[in-house]
Amino acid sequence: MDKKLLEVKNLVVEYRLGTKIARALDNISFSIKKGEVLGIAGESGCGKSSLGLAIMRLLPRAGKISQGKILFKERNLLRLSETKMNREIRGREIAMIFQNPLHALNPVFTIKTQMVDMMRFNLRYQQLNINKKNISLKDRAIELLKETGLADPEERITDYPFQFSGGMKQRVMIAMAFISNPPLLIADEPTTALDVTIEAEILVLMKNLVNKYKNSVLYISHDLGVISEISDRVMIIYAGKIVEMADSRSLFEHPQHPYTRALLESLPGTAKIRKGRLSTIPGRVPPLNKLPKGCSFHPRCTFAEEICKRNTPELVELTPNHWVACLREGKLRRRTKCF
Amino acid sequence: MLKYIIKRFLWIVPTVLGVLILLFSLTYFLPGDPASVMLGPRATPELIKDLNHRLHLDQPVYARLVYYILGVLRGDLGESVWSKHKVSSLIANALPYTITLAVCSMGLAVLVGIFLGVFATIYKESIIDHLVTVISLVGVAVPDFVAACLLLLIFAVHLNLFPVLGAGEAGNIADEIHHLILPVISLAIGWIGYLSRLTRETMLEVIDSDYIRVAKAFGMPAKHIHYKYALKNTVIPTITVIGLGIGKLLGGAVLVEIIFNRPGIGKLVVDAVYARDLPVVQGGILMATLLFVLANLIADISYAYIDPRIQYE
Amino acid sequence: MIQENIANSSPRRSNYGKKNSQIKKIAGILRIILHDYRGQIGSAFIIVMVVCAIFSPWVAPFDPYELDILNRFASPSLTHLLGTDYLGRDILSRIIYGSRVAAMVSFGSVCFSAIIGVILGVVGGYKEGSLIDYGIILVFDIVRSFPQLILALAMVAVMGPSMRNLILALAFTAFPFYGRLARAETLSVREENYVKAAKALGATNTQIIFKHIIPNTLSPVIVTGGMDLATMIMYEASLSFLGLGVSPPTASWGIMLKNGLTYIHASFWMIIWPAIAIAIAMIGFSLFAESLRIALNPKERKLHG
Repeated sequence: MDKKLLEVKNLVVEYRLGTKIARALDNISFSIKKGEVLGIAGESGCGKSSLGLAIMRLLPRAGKISQGKILFKERNLLRLSETKMNREIRGREIAMIFQNPLHALNPVFTIKTQMVDMMRFNLRYQQLNINKKNISLKDRAIELLKETGLADPEERITDYPFQFSGGMKQRVMIAMAFISNPPLLIADEPTTALDVTIEAEILVLMKNLVNKYKNSVLYISHDLGVISEISDRVMIIYAGKIVEMADSRSLFEHPQHPYTRALLESLPGTAKIRKGRLSTIPGRVPPLNKLPKGCSFHPRCTFAEEICKRNTPELVELTPNHWVACLREGKLRRRTKCF
Repeated sequence: MLKYIIKRFLWIVPTVLGVLILLFSLTYFLPGDPASVMLGPRATPELIKDLNHRLHLDQPVYARLVYYILGVLRGDLGESVWSKHKVSSLIANALPYTITLAVCSMGLAVLVGIFLGVFATIYKESIIDHLVTVISLVGVAVPDFVAACLLLLIFAVHLNLFPVLGAGEAGNIADEIHHLILPVISLAIGWIGYLSRLTRETMLEVIDSDYIRVAKAFGMPAKHIHYKYALKNTVIPTITVIGLGIGKLLGGAVLVEIIFNRPGIGKLVVDAVYARDLPVVQGGILMATLLFVLANLIADISYAYIDPRIQYE
Repeated sequence: MIQENIANSSPRRSNYGKKNSQIKKIAGILRIILHDYRGQIGSAFIIVMVVCAIFSPWVAPFDPYELDILNRFASPSLTHLLGTDYLGRDILSRIIYGSRVAAMVSFGSVCFSAIIGVILGVVGGYKEGSLIDYGIILVFDIVRSFPQLILALAMVAVMGPSMRNLILALAFTAFPFYGRLARAETLSVREENYVKAAKALGATNTQIIFKHIIPNTLSPVIVTGGMDLATMIMYEASLSFLGLGVSPPTASWGIMLKNGLTYIHASFWMIIWPAIAIAIAMIGFSLFAESLRIALNPKERKLHG
């Protein structure tokens, strides 16, 4: 099925800090097919979290979507009223899983109350389960929790959030996200705040659920290892712009953008192969309101030339389905597999 | 939970003991010879000596302290110097008026204050918000007794809408309520001002928190978030304030009772102070303090009950 | 190019001119306060009140004790801008002198209670769990069990009404609040890493207390003190209203209110002006304390802009 579930066109997200305006996302365009997992990678502060929030229209007060269209099932989400957005989209058609589960649940209500509340107002859930009307909401919640691997859900559901560990809370969040089996799932660094063993479990859980229910996923992370495990396609963002976008295998085996190359080389695994020192990317991500002229990456790029200081690169399809935004595209030495 | 309650109760014992000691020492330092004051100018030295002995006034300090404490535990607070009535019965008569006033005022303040605070948050930056800010400023700035005087002036004296004095005919509920209205409003204004500000600030913080953002991300309707979800988180810190507030309220009640001539504990104590009626002063203050301690205890326990985190600690 | 970027990305701050920075800090805080409308209004009211209090003999048009029986209950006029009271005394002058009483009582009692409270609180917090600590907490709880006004009332009744006794009584009822605050701060500061580091380097207890703990208690204590000033003004007025504060014929707003109430049928100017004066003073201090709180707390600054 080639129908695009989500299509983002020329999206610009700006943040106002006092009198300065910073572009967190500059002219972003991409699409997601039904059942596809798109991974979005980039360093902290590059604007990737804003993407998820922008789609859900949950940007903080200082943020604004100043241009662009977000088409979900061919409807422009930016034109929907807030009420419609709430009633039809959020938690129903598109569900978001947040980064830090520590404070994601209301501490003074039980898990049962919170989950049942999410279900009560969820019309899509009710439509989907019209033949299961005799199952109480509480039992349905227990079912969901069982699916996400929470131990002893019947007993634990009446507990309070502070009695849960981080990993367990994230399982509850995932269960809540799947209440109405949303066609699109947005995962904003869901495992960043968890320790590595729990991270692996949650990843496996998500992969299984997505395989079973065939949701599309927008997976945002700074961890390339995690992205490579779960994504069908990958998009790399730097300073608010897409620098490379390709199928997962193609991107990791033949990275075409210097930034992607540098990111991959900085993974500890590659250092072991070369038996050298850990390589890093010199310098820092520039503040979004003071971007360098020309290509945003050129101050840190080992392949930069004079032209990179003047011109801004556009996304170009180098090989089929492999897009790069680099003025020297194609001229990078062909390498063998990076990992 | 039980452990928490027991701990609280145990700590009260030395506290109340200390309170009694403090009260005793206050009155111990009161100048003048109580016995001769009580007996009047025509008392003979023998009568004074006799009364001194009966009141244990000729004993050393610590013995008097012990007699006092034992007396309190028995419920015997002595006799009024002037009216010879038992202090405990005087207090028992005055207590209901004060309690009614305090409970009604705090109740009104809590309902209106929290309501206004929630409204101000939901309609942030609108006219309602600014109106609530003004109201809260006025409420906080105008002390209870000033408000009482002004209300008395405008509504009772000039407009003649409300009675000026007293607490109304006992047993006639409508009349009693009529007499309650102005005093309750005077006391409640200050607290409405404070509670509405506090609620607004707390709620603003709550609305910015992660879990509310998550609820919004899952499409929870705004009304539900405001009136159920966020409300509980907001009300909980507010309750802690209320317990402490009863103390201030009791202080304010003293003045309001005097201004409106309500026969409550406050008026009892102040009149006794003017008359140098030592046992009544002691007994009245003790009663007010015990009320305060009780109110704090109830507030602490309710807080532990409502905030599940405390219970499990 | 790369080197430039790295150099620009991590600035260094030196310790040069530390005293200078302290003054700058205070100036910075004042600036924040004065930019906020709350701070502006509050400071304005406070300045007016303090000027009246200090320079009363020069600001007031009449002698507050000067009788003019023939002119009693006068309405506001060009000579007596606020009218006269039941003895013909000029209300405006009495209000101005009343600010002196309010200022002295509030500043005096807040200073006393804050000092005593902080000392006890820091000692108790530093020796947490010891008998001294339990004793101090017990003392705090005992005094806190009394409703403030009622305890102050009783104390003044025992000691005799006078300004000095009023200040002492009010200070006594208030010190536990500062004490608990100071104790809580001490407990949390003690656990901070820089304190542990200082101890590891051999700093004595006294040094730690004075260099780290007390400065950290200053901020919340000052904010509480600011709010307390307003409360103390109210308590002074309340107690003087009851005749258990400053004694007549001293001009105190509380006493003026009482007189106004007594003669409410003759003239309501007697009661309105002191009520307004009290309200203005309380609003002023409350607003100022509010903006002080926001200025001293970086988190609040973001919330309130």
